[in-house]
Amino acid sequence: MAEFKSGFFVGGDACNGRILVVDDEPDIRKVVKMTLQKAGYDVLEAENGEKAIEAINSGENRLLLDVMVCDIRMPKVNGIEAIAYFRQNYPRVPLIVLTGFPDTDMATSLLRQGVVDYLVKPVEGDKLKAAVARAMEQRELAPL
Amino acid sequence: MTSSAPQLSEQHQAGRALSRPSPAAHKKDSAAPMTTTHLTDVTPTKIAILGAGRGGTALLDLLHQIPAIEIIGIADCNPEASGLQRARELRVPVAAHIAELIQNHGVQLILDVTGDPSLGAILRRQARPEADVLSGSASRMLWELVQHESTLQAELLHAEKLAGIGSFAAGIAHDINNPLQLILGLAENLEDETDLKTVHAQAADIIAAVKRTTAICRDLTSYARRSASQNHSLVPLNARLDEALKIARYAVGFHDIDIAKQYTPDAAASGHPDELLHVFVNLITNAIQAMSDGGTLTLRTTIEPDRATIQVSDTGCGIPSDLFNAIFEPFFTTKPPGKGTGLGLYNIRHVIHQMHGTIAVASDVGIGSTFTVTLPRTAQT
Repeated sequence: MAEFKSGFFVGGDACNGRILVVDDEPDIRKVVKMTLQKAGYDVLEAENGEKAIEAINSGENRLLLDVMVCDIRMPKVNGIEAIAYFRQNYPRVPLIVLTGFPDTDMATSLLRQGVVDYLVKPVEGDKLKAAVARAMEQRELAPL
Repeated sequence: MTSSAPQLSEQHQAGRALSRPSPAAHKKDSAAPMTTTHLTDVTPTKIAILGAGRGGTALLDLLHQIPAIEIIGIADCNPEASGLQRARELRVPVAAHIAELIQNHGVQLILDVTGDPSLGAILRRQARPEADVLSGSASRMLWELVQHESTLQAELLHAEKLAGIGSFAAGIAHDINNPLQLILGLAENLEDETDLKTVHAQAADIIAAVKRTTAICRDLTSYARRSASQNHSLVPLNARLDEALKIARYAVGFHDIDIAKQYTPDAAASGHPDELLHVFVNLITNAIQAMSDGGTLTLRTTIEPDRATIQVSDTGCGIPSDLFNAIFEPFFTTKPPGKGTGLGLYNIRHVIHQMHGTIAVASDVGIGSTFTVTLPRTAQT
């Protein structure tokens, strides 16, 4: 593990936190995962909103998922719908939007709904990591 | 769904120029033909066209679209004149002799576009006195107006295409920014990557991503350019549909859409390649937009001895039969303001007619729609 900040232990691994990356493009998931893993995060992937909802509702993720990084344009359940679901059911999880389409109206509306950051692709690794670090500070731990 | 009924229905009606096709009337379970009161209430002016060369053909194409005009016949001393073939396609009567046409009892206006000065005397002698005659410089002016209208149509077509490209912004941003994200992420990783195998693999990924991005620009610039030539050629339909599919993806999200291709190998038709691409992009975009909850897009090509048929079907919301005419009229749209020009199908019908083809719709509300384009397989002279 490259660095160890205010992490905690999950199943014996040192970890800065668990991030769910939601994007329909495997390439994007691959590269975002690579960046975040190098920063010491445990990264899960989902290819659309439906899979993201399945992920948060399965096993220990309910308690241990810290941040979601989510695309908007996706098949089945899109980012907007997934974000609404997360805000409703898991308001403790900070949400970051990572989209290919800069849309001021959508950004404003999503930030109002409680999304902590709206990033437009291509985003530099440092900016992404800084956004995730900020989001980590805002997260609330799940009630045990 | 029958493949030929909608097309036949248009040919049948086009000559009367009173109403647009009503393919539903030909379908298995709908018996009543559609009525279009605002059109049938008009008593059309009965017109005869003399001359079936370029001028006569252009007049025919223009006037047969106007509900207030009925073309009772066209005549030309040259039996091979291009306008006579076009008239047969439109079910406009072709008169064997000029005399037969100008003495027709119903005729109210005779348009002489032969350019033959000797015809003036014949018309004065033989035409019925109640019929007005437009000839000489008056008919030349009419020809100029028709030419002008045709220029405007071409401008309109291009403007509508460009307006449509505005809706590509989200799709283009998605398709360019995703590869850029990959390129940036990989390049950042390469800065401190020490494993040579990984370096090679990621450099290859970067090259592939750059190629993807340039392909987007190439596709769109070739689509957006103004059609340089008006020449018709033999267009490979299946390849054109595949290309249209690629471009339509920028305009609309294909999420939850299954695509069924029922192509007849080597299907080809005579037409204008760029304009056909535009037609297909429009039809596919409309089909996808009709399926907001997902569905199946079917692209089908079939060939018959003298013509080729292209069908674009969706399993979407459908079109009420009382709108079958209206959807081809200019500025008709069901989209919110700013989202559609309302010129898509109007332009499509125009360019298909220019290619000596037809377009028709068959639809059931809640089940889906099929647009059928029929084109000649060999060049029309």
